[in-house]
Amino acid sequence: MARGSTAARQSPSEATDSVLGRGARVRGRVHGDGSLRVEGSIEGDVQVSGELEIDDGGSVAGDVDAGALTIGGQLTGNASARGPITIRSTARVSGDMLGAEVVLEEGAAFDGRIEAEFELPPELTGRPGSR
Amino acid sequence: MATIIGNGLTIEGEITSDEDVEVAGTLRGKLSAEGVVTVDTGAVIEADVSASTLQVGGTVTGNVSASDRVDLLAGGRLVGDVKAARLTIADGAQFKGNVDMDV
Repeated sequence: MARGSTAARQSPSEATDSVLGRGARVRGRVHGDGSLRVEGSIEGDVQVSGELEIDDGGSVAGDVDAGALTIGGQLTGNASARGPITIRSTARVSGDMLGAEVVLEEGAAFDGRIEAEFELPPELTGRPGSR
Repeated sequence: MATIIGNGLTIEGEITSDEDVEVAGTLRGKLSAEGVVTVDTGAVIEADVSASTLQVGGTVTGNVSASDRVDLLAGGRLVGDVKAARLTIADGAQFKGNVDMDV
C-alpha cells in the first residue's frame, strides 16, 4: 500500500558524493550521478557523471567512465572521461585511457594506450608520421 | 572512512564492508557489513542485508539480520524477514515479514 510520493526528491544536480571506504568491497556494477571516491575495491564496471577518484590503496578491476578521473591506486580496465584523466605517481594502471587530457605523473606504472585530444606544438606538426 | 552510497548512485551487485555503510542511493544485490548500516530516507535497497546494527529510514526489500539490533524508523519501509536480538518499529514505519529474535 504505497501511497504518496515514493519517488521523492530526485534531482540529479543534487546528487551527493559517494565514498567506498577502505574496508569495503563491491562485486558488480556501479553507476549514477555525483562523484565517487574509491578507497576499497570494486570488481565491475563503474560509470559516474562526476569525478571518480581511485585512492592510493583503492582498486578497480573493470571499465570506468566518469566526468573526470584521478587514479592513485590500481586500475585494471579501460577508462574514458569527458574531462581530464590524472594518473598519479602511486598509480598502477593497465588499460587504455581516453580523455580530454591525460596527465601521467612520474613514478606511475602504466601499461596501455593513451588517447587524448590535443594540438601538437608547431615544430612537430611538419614532421611526417607524427599525429 | 566509512562507505557512503550517495543518492544518485546505483550499485548492482554485492557489497561487503568491515565498517559502517550509509546508503542514500539504490542497491540491488547483497549487503554485508560488520558495522552500522544506515538506510536514509529516499534510499532503495533490494537486497539481503546483514550488519551489526541496521537503521531503516528508506525502503528495504529483502531479508535482514543484525548481530545487535534493527531499528525501523518513521517513514521507513521494510518488506522481508528480520533476524535480530532487538527490533524497534517506530510509529509511521511500514513492515511486512517475520521476526526472529532468537529466543
